[in-house]
Amino acid sequence: MIEIGRLAVKISGRDAGLKCVVVDVLDDKFLLIDGETRRRKCNILHIEPLKDVVKIKKNASHEDIKKEFEKLGLKVRETKSKQKTERPRKKRKTPEQLREQKEEKRKLMDVFKKKKEETVKGKGEEKPAEKTGGSLEEKAGLVEEKKKPVKEKGKEPKKAQKKDSKPVKK
Amino acid sequence: MPEPYKRSRTLRRLQVKVPGGATRRHYKERKPKNAKCGSCGNVLKGIPRERPLKMHKLPKTKKKPTRPYGGNLCSKCTRTLIVEKARLQ
Repeated sequence: MIEIGRLAVKISGRDAGLKCVVVDVLDDKFLLIDGETRRRKCNILHIEPLKDVVKIKKNASHEDIKKEFEKLGLKVRETKSKQKTERPRKKRKTPEQLREQKEEKRKLMDVFKKKKEETVKGKGEEKPAEKTGGSLEEKAGLVEEKKKPVKEKGKEPKKAQKKDSKPVKK
Repeated sequence: MPEPYKRSRTLRRLQVKVPGGATRRHYKERKPKNAKCGSCGNVLKGIPRERPLKMHKLPKTKKKPTRPYGGNLCSKCTRTLIVEKARLQ
């Protein structure tokens, strides 16, 4: 029943339900099969023989089996060996690239700075006008003195920090 | 009185030894039932008994056998089914 060229169906494993051909009988237990399945050693109990027999030689090559299968209208499983790809490795950025990065950052920072200054100026002009109108002379003077420096302090240290931080990065 | 959800039996109870040395009762969600074969009803092997969230995190090959009908039929039933199909042709 089981001979070289016998068509069979694989019953077990991940190739179960696929058709194959017996290429070689290794011993009383094992066969070499090929076809829709992978070319592999296989237990006799793990295939169900069919009635058709294909004319092939013992240890026939994969290409011969492919020709025979094409006659029957079946497709052979093609396995491709994996191409070795180089492991991606991190590269240090060249000084030119770093410079470009910094320039881009500076441009962004400048845009934000301009916006901030505009907003701050707008607020600064409006507030003191209101205060002078509302309060007493002495109190108004005190309030203005107190509040103005606070704002200036708020502005200055931020700028100073940014200015300081840039040279440090350089 | 414990909280209402701890009074019902929806959560399973564990006796856990805490670092201080005392045993304390912990409440955990119950695991789902074992997966079973669609034709014979036997318990399927190779399928972990975990909640959906944990199953979601597992790799594909650890969730079910890679053979056809894997995860639905047991190996014996798939064999008989495939053999029957082959003999009918």
